[in-house]
Amino acid sequence: MVFSELSFLYFFLPIVMLLYFVSGNKLRNIIIFITGLLFYAWGEPFYVIIMLLSTAIDYTAGRLMDKYDDDNKKRKICLIVSICMNVGLLAVFKYSDFIFDSINGLLGTELTNPVILVNKALNKIYPFGLNEKRVDLPVGISFFTFQSMSYTIDLYLRNISVQKSFLNFASYVSLFPQIVAGPIVRYEQVAGELESRSVTVPKISAGISLFVKGLAKKVLLANNVGAIWSEVKAMDYGQISAATAWLGILAFTFQIYFDFSGYSDMASGLGKMLGFEFPKNFDHPYISKSVSEFWRRWHITLGSWFKSYVYIPLGGNRCGAFKTYRNLFIVWALTGLWHGASWNFVLWGLYFGVLIIIERLGFGKVLEKLPSGISMLYTFLAAVFGWVLFDTDTLSDAGQFIAAMFGAGGAAVDGYFKYTLVSNCFLLVMCILISGGIGSKIAEYAGEKSRSFKAISTTVLVTGGLLLCTAYLVDASYNPFLYFRF
Amino acid sequence: MSKNKTAKTRSAAEKARSTEVITSIVTVLLFFGILTGLGLVTVFSEKEGFSETQNRKLADFPELTGKNIYSGKFTSGVEDYVSDHFAGHDGWIAAKTAAELLTGKKERNDIYILENRLVEKIPEPDMEEVQKSIDGIKKFAEDNHIAPYVMIVPTQAEIYKNELPANAPNPDQQAFINGVYAQLEGSAVPIDVYSTLSANKDSYIYYRTDHHWTTQGAFLAYIAAARKMDIMPLTEGSYDIDHASDSFKGTFYSKVLYEGIEPDSIDLWLPADRGEEPQVEIYSTFGAEPQLHEGMYFREYLEVKDKYSTFFGTNQPMVTVHTGNEGGKLLVFKDSYAHCFVPFMTEHFSEVTMVDLRYIQMSYKDIIDVSEYDKVMFLYNASTFMSDRNLKKLMY
Repeated sequence: MVFSELSFLYFFLPIVMLLYFVSGNKLRNIIIFITGLLFYAWGEPFYVIIMLLSTAIDYTAGRLMDKYDDDNKKRKICLIVSICMNVGLLAVFKYSDFIFDSINGLLGTELTNPVILVNKALNKIYPFGLNEKRVDLPVGISFFTFQSMSYTIDLYLRNISVQKSFLNFASYVSLFPQIVAGPIVRYEQVAGELESRSVTVPKISAGISLFVKGLAKKVLLANNVGAIWSEVKAMDYGQISAATAWLGILAFTFQIYFDFSGYSDMASGLGKMLGFEFPKNFDHPYISKSVSEFWRRWHITLGSWFKSYVYIPLGGNRCGAFKTYRNLFIVWALTGLWHGASWNFVLWGLYFGVLIIIERLGFGKVLEKLPSGISMLYTFLAAVFGWVLFDTDTLSDAGQFIAAMFGAGGAAVDGYFKYTLVSNCFLLVMCILISGGIGSKIAEYAGEKSRSFKAISTTVLVTGGLLLCTAYLVDASYNPFLYFRF
Repeated sequence: MSKNKTAKTRSAAEKARSTEVITSIVTVLLFFGILTGLGLVTVFSEKEGFSETQNRKLADFPELTGKNIYSGKFTSGVEDYVSDHFAGHDGWIAAKTAAELLTGKKERNDIYILENRLVEKIPEPDMEEVQKSIDGIKKFAEDNHIAPYVMIVPTQAEIYKNELPANAPNPDQQAFINGVYAQLEGSAVPIDVYSTLSANKDSYIYYRTDHHWTTQGAFLAYIAAARKMDIMPLTEGSYDIDHASDSFKGTFYSKVLYEGIEPDSIDLWLPADRGEEPQVEIYSTFGAEPQLHEGMYFREYLEVKDKYSTFFGTNQPMVTVHTGNEGGKLLVFKDSYAHCFVPFMTEHFSEVTMVDLRYIQMSYKDIIDVSEYDKVMFLYNASTFMSDRNLKKLMY
């Protein structure tokens, strides 16, 4: 299920919340667990088994680590089993096609991905409708495996204590707000709230505001600006004007930000309604003054996951220059690969890795001295070129598209550009202002001037926003879910 | 004095806090009130199978079977069902149109919203596919040793292109039609209706809210066709014009639900010296007896939304008109633009047969014998001719 769907908004959400509010504390985790499973199974009726499997293994690994508290060898084995299991699930369901395609491409072989054979066999037993050509990615697998791993790793490192209740652990994994598109909430961040949490009217109200803000970002901004990109993306890159190419990729730049950060806001808002505080996931990344800063503001929970569980365990920057750069390369290749199983994504990750290394080597100091407008422009453009790699289908498409941005398509400006720019002017200005943080500034200022005014206008905006989003959802000609490759 | 001030600030802070408490309660009540309220209305409201305003069948609730669940058909079906039957559905669509116009958008659901009319946004044609249609007509001419008349009618988007927003994407239909005609030279007789329609663009020749031309537009084309076909056309004065309806809101309206455009009228042009009503045979399935209809006008459609269907009803695979007049037999391959055009032709033929290739899954040779006809005509609007993939069926 996806939050920006009428059936979620008008049926699932009110029913779950009503049940949740009227139940006592004891029942609430059961409700979270069951509704999380339903929420997940609604979109993945078959793969829900995988989520349960991952939950069961990590829970058991945790209990065993606790049982053999003094035996470091056994604890280590538990950790390794848990990591292999989660990485294994990713390898099978997310990367197996990519691995086999790459091997076949490299060696000229025609090996068949064994997962496909399993799918075929399962379909013979019952019409599960499993894909017999490509392996379908279970929604959210990259999120829940990472979350689940944060538990066993932190437990091994003795950062947290064991969760004895299967229900509490399972509620953590299947917590529906963050299950399909993050933020990647680490176990330690909600460990306390899993045991007990308070649900109050002001918290619910704050959660609602955040949720509607995210919904509006997704439905009103991302979907509409994304429609421009889907038109441009489908054009012949050899023919488009430079202006159209820029408009298209800028549209995607805003689409992915508002879609993703909108999704995170919705998740955090829902979390708040249920009594959880999720970590911040986006902090106006497009006004960063360096690529390193950009990645501290973009998908923050993913960056900090890789930092805590890959970069630092590898030695971080404490083992000399060579190892530091090696570690950075590993982290950025993995970050790229996490976003999708294709070479475009690996290259996209490495591209940022290289930029960050260049900044570390001294360019960062230069950026600090430059006027902030220029360093912001550099960072923004670095992100924009990154998105070309990210969202074109092949490397040669990416190359062609970048060439078109520099005028290889012929004309500098064409009619399509002029028409699309004029008719989407308001939308684009809103995207620029809001991603630039103007909206948040206004809200802050209003709060300082008059708290009453802010409170009342929030209520009005939330209600109006919900109604406007409903109008856009009832007529949803374009409402994509972007993270199916994550 | 300072005591007073502190008290004042404190009371202001308290006031702000109580406003915050109240607004947070109001927010929670409004949010869940709207969600449950509209959710309940959606569940318990009476469901219609067909939407008149949108002119389409609405989604049924999906069947709950294991197969549907695993294929994802069930869940996507539920979402379609919910959005189709959502409480106040048409109101939400209209609200979105209003919001889009307010933010400076000029189009919605591929309809340009102009000051006085709605116009379709047509994609650029795929010329490879169009070539197959042209080849289909050529093959037809060759197989049947006949030079068919070909009439490709420009649509509103071409005739009113100057009213479109600046730089709006809009394929050049005039060039397209000329290109097709040039290719058909020698195998077919093209009928140019572009000049007459564009010369009369200030008259009411296209509906404002529907994709069809009006009867008056079709009449202009009839005059142009008559000249090529060696027919002596009736003059405008020899018709009684029946203003059958002035509340027609067509297919374009259905896509945007925008009320800012004046509704259309349906005019039936009836020859003043008309005799008995022609007999119309409708073949909706082949092999079965045709349905019969007295006259070419299906007046029951004047009472429903789809008022253009007053002309010959909805699209059918094959319709034959026994006109009761003297003359030969005319065969028309067509889209729905023919429906208000063919009545003019019935004055000059004893029998007119319309064939809609889009609804025929077999070879045309299995349902008609072309040699029985004196004249053959292809009548399509340019938008259909650009996108339709059924003319290539003429190859077989």
